[in-house]
Amino acid sequence: MDFSDQQLIVDYLKGDEESFKILIKRYLKPIYNFVYQYVNDPQEAQDITQEVFVRVWRYLKKFNQKKNFKTWLFQIAKNVSIDFYRKARFHGGERKNISFSDFENEKGENILTETIPDPGPLPDEILERSDIGQQLAKATKKLSLNYKNVICLYYYHHFTFQEIAEILSAPLNTVKSQHRRALSILKKILEKDFN
Amino acid sequence: MLNNYEKLFGHLNSQEPPVNIFDRIILLIQQEKERKRTKKILFIFSILFVISLIITPLSFNIFINQIKDSGITYFFSTAFNDLDVFIALWQDFSLAILESLPLMGLLTFVFSLAVFLFTFRLFFRRKKLLIDYLFSHQHLHNII
Repeated sequence: MDFSDQQLIVDYLKGDEESFKILIKRYLKPIYNFVYQYVNDPQEAQDITQEVFVRVWRYLKKFNQKKNFKTWLFQIAKNVSIDFYRKARFHGGERKNISFSDFENEKGENILTETIPDPGPLPDEILERSDIGQQLAKATKKLSLNYKNVICLYYYHHFTFQEIAEILSAPLNTVKSQHRRALSILKKILEKDFN
Repeated sequence: MLNNYEKLFGHLNSQEPPVNIFDRIILLIQQEKERKRTKKILFIFSILFVISLIITPLSFNIFINQIKDSGITYFFSTAFNDLDVFIALWQDFSLAILESLPLMGLLTFVFSLAVFLFTFRLFFRRKKLLIDYLFSHQHLHNII
């Protein structure tokens, strides 16, 4: 029998330790994949994922149960990932794996894509390629972190734009714009690779 | 358009987390729980230790003064100097000693001494744990 997140939290706070373990198992892979895009390194992604769930355990009693647990969880994951990235940069570590676009300002607006209209659908030939998974992974890596986050949270983790805006602490319109721009860039990259 | 891109992202391969990550998370949480417990013990130990450190000598002084004022020393000196008298009247002497014993002072002193010894014992029993906590707690701030 599948329990909702809320039910598991209530049971855990009443003393059922197994409920929290079920919660961890439920979100372990999605969180791991989410933080992986920040660091592109399995060991670092593991460290961050561990820290995420320790923080969830630490602050679960303070969690407002009227809110969406999944959104709160991903907010923590985002914050821990950013903290890790900043500490690594502060200590002089090389963060080659995380790409922030040179053409993006702090709001995540890319001046090169400002004038790009709605991307339109992808040609079917691209979707029918046998190596589309690999091509997509390569293309996604070329996106800036902000765009990657929006795309992955929307298509892979199935959050709504409103939830993504909460997770990323960004205005809703910014998230929608980033989504549109990300698709435009992806489409260009995939079409270029195809041709 | 959305269906088209949803179909595209259906091909996105996900990363599999390492096999033992769940166990490591549980272990880290257990360690965190232990650390919290240790912190509580350290706090309680510190409070009790400080209180007993202040109260024990104070209560000892009060007890000694009460002993002097109560006249028990007279009974004891009589017992040592005139042992025959003491033996003959030992019941009366014993009753007199018990009546003049500063019970509250004695109890306060014994209690504060017991607390002092208890906190010391607590420290020695959990010495390794507490020292590890004190030094590792500093170190933790440097880790993610």
